[in-house]
Amino acid sequence: MIFQFTKKLNAANGHFRLEVDAEITEGNLITLYGESGAGKTSILRMLAGLLQPERGYLKVGEEVWYSAEEKINLSPQQRKIGIVFQDYALFPNMTVRQNLEFALYKNQDKRVIAELVDLIELGDLQYRRPETLSGGQKQRVALARALVRRPKLLLLDEPLSALDKAMRDKLQNYILKLHRNFNLTTFLVSHEVKEVFKMSNEVWVLKDGKITSRSTPLSLFSQTDVSGKFKFTGEVIDVEKSDVIFIITILVANNIVKVVADEREASQLSVGDEVLVASKAFNPLIQKIN
Amino acid sequence: MSNIDWSPFALTFKLALITTVILFVISIPLAYWLSYSKSKFKPVIETLVAMPIVLPPTVLGFYILVALNPSSMIGGFMENTFGLRLVFSFEGLVFASLIYSLPFMVQPIQSGLSNLSVSLAEASSSLGKSKFTTLVKVLLPNIKPSLLTGIVLAFAHTVGEFGVVLMIGGSIPDKTRVASIAIYDEVEALNYETANAYAGVLLVVTFVILFIVYLVSDRHRRKISQ
Amino acid sequence: MTLVELKVGKYLLKSIVLETPQSAPYLKIDNTINVLFKETEVIIAKGDLTPMSLQNRINGVVSKIERGEILGRLTLDSDIGEIVSLITTSAIDQLILKKGDNVTAMVKTNEIMLSA
Repeated sequence: MIFQFTKKLNAANGHFRLEVDAEITEGNLITLYGESGAGKTSILRMLAGLLQPERGYLKVGEEVWYSAEEKINLSPQQRKIGIVFQDYALFPNMTVRQNLEFALYKNQDKRVIAELVDLIELGDLQYRRPETLSGGQKQRVALARALVRRPKLLLLDEPLSALDKAMRDKLQNYILKLHRNFNLTTFLVSHEVKEVFKMSNEVWVLKDGKITSRSTPLSLFSQTDVSGKFKFTGEVIDVEKSDVIFIITILVANNIVKVVADEREASQLSVGDEVLVASKAFNPLIQKIN
Repeated sequence: MSNIDWSPFALTFKLALITTVILFVISIPLAYWLSYSKSKFKPVIETLVAMPIVLPPTVLGFYILVALNPSSMIGGFMENTFGLRLVFSFEGLVFASLIYSLPFMVQPIQSGLSNLSVSLAEASSSLGKSKFTTLVKVLLPNIKPSLLTGIVLAFAHTVGEFGVVLMIGGSIPDKTRVASIAIYDEVEALNYETANAYAGVLLVVTFVILFIVYLVSDRHRRKISQ
Repeated sequence: MTLVELKVGKYLLKSIVLETPQSAPYLKIDNTINVLFKETEVIIAKGDLTPMSLQNRINGVVSKIERGEILGRLTLDSDIGEIVSLITTSAIDQLILKKGDNVTAMVKTNEIMLSA
């Protein structure tokens, strides 16, 4: 899959040019990572045909979906895509099953719906209306609906940002399962480092409409500027003086850690600050827990 | 009461019914265009559609009269081609009512469509469905209260119109003498009893219609918010 | 693993890191980077040094002593700037440290971190 897109975009702090040019191995799960307003959603919309680039080219498999030069521009209807929107976009006037059936193309074998209902465990929800579902359930339905037509590309625009941690974990597993079962090339917009690690085999960092780096999650996130191998980000929840030193209490994910600091460091920290906690790989002790 | 002539009511509801049906059909594409178009002509069209709300009915009636009389271009064309005379005729009243009640149908539908999340239509496109299928199967079923509001307002407004009808229809029994005109005529002739009957019926009918609308849309709102 | 030699003023400090020049672009000869170590890892010696394995040694003069109940805080003036060491108060007493003393601050090779 090859694509090149150029377009002037409006952002909160003025205009910038989106310029991306990438060749992708089909079957990859790619995360678009970066600050909001960097152009991540715009890239998804251009892939889907919902937003037209000024110039560019898009080829998926052997099909050209967009070419400014040859004046080719397939409509979203003609592209083999599945999109999961941030607000789910389920049709309120239809039940879960009707939402899935709506997606069928003419004369399509209905067995795909049974397969998806099975894979995503929607059996109990089939005859319910979207307004009676929880956020996670809605998202599962949206995911299933996006795959009914057996698309080549799956586009996920921060699909999990509104869900709690447990639900998020579960949905990440569904997405991974579907990505493999349906031989998809998947693009995921995400802000969450943990999610990027778990989900993708390739991560693109976007800044002001440009891809500033393309790598595996591991090499991206372990290549920041401190050489410590034992490294977390967390939030300061307490700064306390004890003797001549300070004890900083930091929340790292769901764990509380305490770090000793000199007053020169402590004076620069206050409760609520995001901090990096790092130690050399030589220092931590490891003990097996049973 | 028995010797009161009820034919103005039959005429009124026939006019309102025909007007509402035609308006429903033309307002859906128009409202759809107005809510999704980014054309620079959109404000112009929006303004034209909304004009009858603020314009005195007599102004509207006057221009329609000028436009439709047989010696004008449009009026002449209609008369020569279709044998249709649009002034002082029922057909003329329908035409005038369409223009006069257009905003009452278009605006609720337009605002209903605009309030739907854009992603609904986009999701439907991504599922391979045409714009028409999307409109009929996804968009319209989700703005039922707006459709109902448009239908009722257009109907009720047509029932109540007076100025435009008087200007281009006059008061020809069974052709253009609708209820509002009949009330005026009866008052002028000092037949207060008949005027009172007509006015009372209009009052009650209008109340019932609006009451039903609010009842239904309230229920819908409660259902949505559950 | 890489043993990195760092020129800090007149001193040559050494740090051992897991990264290699291939995995970390900042590991390049003549590249200027920051050298970090924790105050609690700074060892203090006074007088003649018997032979020992510690190679990162910086000479300084004690400019301030703060005594806590358990820990004490020493501030040293050195050629490469101020160095703070946190050692036990009993160690301060044992070495009979006072303002103006010449001391040597030492940091183990695996305690030095690099930051680009």
